[in-house]
Amino acid sequence: MNNRVLGIFLGAGLLLCLTIFLTSYANNVRLPGNNEGYEPVQPIAYSHRLHAGELQLACLHCHSDAGRSRNAGIPTMQTCMDCHKFVTAPILDIRAEDRRAAEAKEKPKRIVSAELHKLYAAMGLDDQLRPEPGAVPRAVGWIRVHELPDFVYFNHGAHVSAGAECQTCHGAIETMERVRQVSDLSMGWCVNCHRGSNATGVQGRAVAAPTDCSGCHF
Amino acid sequence: MNHDHHTGRDSGPAMGFNRRSFLKAAGFTLAGVMVAGCERQKVDKAIPFLVKPEEVIPGTSTWYASTCGGCTAGCGILIKNRDGRPIKIEGNPEHPLSGGGLCATGQAMVLSLYDSHRLQKPALRGKPALWDEIDRAVTGQLEKTRREGKTVRILTSSAPGPTALAAVAKFLTAFPGAKHIRYDPLSASAIADAHQQCYGRRFIPHYRFDRSGVIASFDADFLGTWLSPVEFTRAYRSGRPIDGMTPSMSHHVQIESRMSLSGSNADRRLVARPDEQYRLLLRLTALVDREAGRTPAVPDPGPDPRHEDEMRRLAALLNTARGNSLVVCGANHLPSQLLTAYLNHTLQNTGATVDLDAPSYCRTGSDAAVAELMAELDSGGVGMLIVWDANPAYDWPGDGAFAGSMKKAGMSVICASHEDETSHEATVVLPKAHPMEEWDDAEPVSGIVSVRQPAITPFGDTRSLTDCLHRWTGDTISDLEAIKNWWRAAFFPRRNTAADSFDTFWNDAVYRGFVRVNPAPAPLKPFNTSSLGPCGESGPRGGELVLEFYPTVALLDGRHAHNPWLQELPDPVTKIVWDNYASVSPATAAGNGLHRGDIVHVGLDGASLELPVVIQRGQADGTVAVALGYGKMGTDRFSSVGPEWFEGVRTVEPGELVGKNAGPAREFRDGYLANWRTVREFRGTGSARRLAATQEYDSLRMPAGLAPPDEERRPIIQETTLSAYLASRSAGSFPKPEIHTIWPDEYRFPHHRWAMAIDLSACTGCSACVVGCQAENNIPVVGKDEVYRNREMAWLRIDRYYSGEDGDLSVAYQPMLCQHCEHAPCETVCPVLATVHSDEGLNQQVYNRCVGTRYCSNNCPYKIRRFNWFDYSHGDDMQRLVLNPDVVVRERGIMEKCSFCVQRIQEVKIRAKEGRRPISDGEVKTACEQSCPAQAIVFGDLRDPESRISKMQSGPRMYRVLEETGTAPSIAYMTLVRNRGEEGGADA
Repeated sequence: MNNRVLGIFLGAGLLLCLTIFLTSYANNVRLPGNNEGYEPVQPIAYSHRLHAGELQLACLHCHSDAGRSRNAGIPTMQTCMDCHKFVTAPILDIRAEDRRAAEAKEKPKRIVSAELHKLYAAMGLDDQLRPEPGAVPRAVGWIRVHELPDFVYFNHGAHVSAGAECQTCHGAIETMERVRQVSDLSMGWCVNCHRGSNATGVQGRAVAAPTDCSGCHF
Repeated sequence: MNHDHHTGRDSGPAMGFNRRSFLKAAGFTLAGVMVAGCERQKVDKAIPFLVKPEEVIPGTSTWYASTCGGCTAGCGILIKNRDGRPIKIEGNPEHPLSGGGLCATGQAMVLSLYDSHRLQKPALRGKPALWDEIDRAVTGQLEKTRREGKTVRILTSSAPGPTALAAVAKFLTAFPGAKHIRYDPLSASAIADAHQQCYGRRFIPHYRFDRSGVIASFDADFLGTWLSPVEFTRAYRSGRPIDGMTPSMSHHVQIESRMSLSGSNADRRLVARPDEQYRLLLRLTALVDREAGRTPAVPDPGPDPRHEDEMRRLAALLNTARGNSLVVCGANHLPSQLLTAYLNHTLQNTGATVDLDAPSYCRTGSDAAVAELMAELDSGGVGMLIVWDANPAYDWPGDGAFAGSMKKAGMSVICASHEDETSHEATVVLPKAHPMEEWDDAEPVSGIVSVRQPAITPFGDTRSLTDCLHRWTGDTISDLEAIKNWWRAAFFPRRNTAADSFDTFWNDAVYRGFVRVNPAPAPLKPFNTSSLGPCGESGPRGGELVLEFYPTVALLDGRHAHNPWLQELPDPVTKIVWDNYASVSPATAAGNGLHRGDIVHVGLDGASLELPVVIQRGQADGTVAVALGYGKMGTDRFSSVGPEWFEGVRTVEPGELVGKNAGPAREFRDGYLANWRTVREFRGTGSARRLAATQEYDSLRMPAGLAPPDEERRPIIQETTLSAYLASRSAGSFPKPEIHTIWPDEYRFPHHRWAMAIDLSACTGCSACVVGCQAENNIPVVGKDEVYRNREMAWLRIDRYYSGEDGDLSVAYQPMLCQHCEHAPCETVCPVLATVHSDEGLNQQVYNRCVGTRYCSNNCPYKIRRFNWFDYSHGDDMQRLVLNPDVVVRERGIMEKCSFCVQRIQEVKIRAKEGRRPISDGEVKTACEQSCPAQAIVFGDLRDPESRISKMQSGPRMYRVLEETGTAPSIAYMTLVRNRGEEGGADA
């Protein structure tokens, strides 16, 4: 009696877990810690497709530390403001407003997109870019997409200065509306690239990418 | 059905689960959750700057030049700042005094910055108050003091720099009869007073050990704690260039009672009780005078049969090395210091090894002035007492004596970093900023002025001394402006650089951390021989047993008692941590029937101490030595240090302090804080207490009966004498062992081959490297109980070995760390390949692979591997801010060990690759190498035949420890050479 209840209980549990497992991993069985495909919703719908793809901004324009620091760095809010002091909304929205104003024979209104409004709010500014009384500037907390465990040391500067393309690890970031992790960032994946680069060189130049444990683990 | 066949017991009520079923279900559920939960990402936020400061690049370090505030020696430091927090302090290689070295306390200062027990806010009569209220109370009292015709007294250590001193002087002019008193618990008061009598001005000369061929030190621990140990260690080392074209070494004779760091490094060491040393000094003076054909200027006490030969030899040596010798004395006893000054004068050392023109300002305190202050306080004539960076209620003789006097002041204003014995009794308590939090300056030696710049915003609501005094006299000026103003007035006119504007001068000083100016002119009178009057034939005599007080290299006068790194730093000689103790010689211990750890009662006139006994070889019979700096208020905080588990014993019980405070047991005698006093009663109490030490083996010799013939001496330390070394460069070398190896041919290292050389002749055992390593590599503090179980985590330890007989004991120090063996025994036994060799010669420990079998540690002949038995917490969560983000924090259950600072190697490699250039020799410096004041450690690439390391490793003194085991270590040690002076002359 007792064991039968237990058996049913365990069986149901197994079925439930298998269902969850199979539905979420149908084509994609992976190890714990592998976050390939992770694509969180960010607090501001920033588009790499628009900035890096369509507008052709260089990666290092915003991620300026990538070539000289361990961290590529999320650009400071001030970096965004360098352009968005002037650009307050998508160009099509502004043109639409201009057309509307021309038809209605009035002065066009200032258009501020909902996403840029969040940026200005973070800087403690109102939509006219005047300091908002009582507002405390507070940086936006972006959701981190690519994350390595603490026991791995990774240095962006070393890779960028060796000539590695950002896309080698981050994928075709210039086509992504929202950033997605395209590689599994596993040790095998890292080491394969290091071995390959040592064999073929990077951008026609011989490199000495470490393949020892202490290249990354210390 | 409910019957369990195995045990025959009823397995529980129907419908309920028994233990097994529960575990089955729980395990199953857990597995299910794990499978289902694989994809879940821990949400981590990346928060950028709003507006980034120009010089900050997140993820990289910024270095600021500054001045150490760990003691008053004022060494130059570089502060490593990462993402807005200082995480490491290193010596400033350009600094003219410290030259890149930094002692253990200096290295540990970065941890004190993140001490959550530091005072944060001012308090008035025990209640938190705003600065405005404090200012009103203080200025009101100052006004009242003036009205009532009472006086103002400011008591500080020697720490306040030139600007603060100027502010004090200006403040004092506003109050008639006001005085500034300087007080150093580790007092050098008698040195300054002796020079006052001999030369007409109160100062401490700048001793130049680098220029000294013969050094006679009477109880001055100049390599450990005396005046400016880092500078002296560096200078001492540069006076002993063994590997130069013509090997030469200074000859160092130490006359002392306890085994000090300097004594253990001396070429010859004479053991004499502190009360015998004055007579020896007197005898030496007479002998030196006679040798030079003069009538002795002082009475001759006659020979002491035990030391007469050595005294004659020393007198002859000193006379031969006129102008090139140095006599120093650590006794805080005026006649001794008069004799020392006379000896240096008569040996023509002044102007050569004793610099009188640019004196040292590092310990300018006067003991007599403090006693005078206490009398004034007792008379009720002091309306306002300001105490800054001093804790006389803790370290002045007499339990509660100073606190009692202080209560009689109209108002007492105490500035302290922690709640301490003095601030406890004060009307106003001000929080003292950490030296890395505020602008300040220092002038340790006349003409060497250094800047202290803030490396972080202050944690507390603090103000500097300068700022307070300015405000209380109605001035409002920032510290930075005050310093610049004073420098413009005082130092810019004395500049000896080409700086044509003050801004250039100042910016250069801030950039370098220091600036050299011409020393302040200080006219001296010619040596006044009649000042030797107080040098009578018989000095003070102690009883049968005397008690000697000494500072440790870690805690000094107790100012670092809140620092767990320093509390857990093994004493260089006894290797004991987390305690002070009564150290006695083996004969004294045997005579009193005492064993290590027995608690003794040390009865003194008007005071007593109860401490565990430590039996120390090489100590004078009839002496008891006790360290100062322990038993400090607030050290009961360390009851939470170390893991909590069922067998665990606390480092200290709640409410109990670390060690016992010996300060109040000191004696104020003849106007000075005496180094020693007579013991009236010395007996065991019958109880005992365990002492935790990191090393319990002492001898290089195997126990008799165990060793094969001719192999009684274990091949760990190679030592020889200078004369033997001059005769044969291979003197003292062990015979090359025959090594049978199963390993294939040598590996050819394609890029680099990292290796290290450690010069045992240079190493003084000061332990700076131990703390440097701890700071760099996130090494935890484990607590006394874990040390007792041999579970300390230090990657680098300093082994101390004795050789010779008790009368002529030699001490050798050997820094021991992972040897990065080419044929590493640890690597072959790891079942999971968590320790493997890199193609650059590093023995790598891969934490994320390690499963904690500890086979590697078992198989390591050097015993340098450390196992994380627990997740060792830092005790104080705020102190996690000091962690180096480039080094992972190891978790429970894995092995760790020295990595040759691989994070530093990688950093330099990346920098070199970015610049498309090779790594230059000396560019990679390990943390231990960087901190070493004696430059005993050299790290480099053996693939470069021109590198320093290649030359050292092929030198004649090179040997490897336990070479016969066939491990082929990457670390080479260099034979310890002592200049015993057998040829009857120093070779300098």
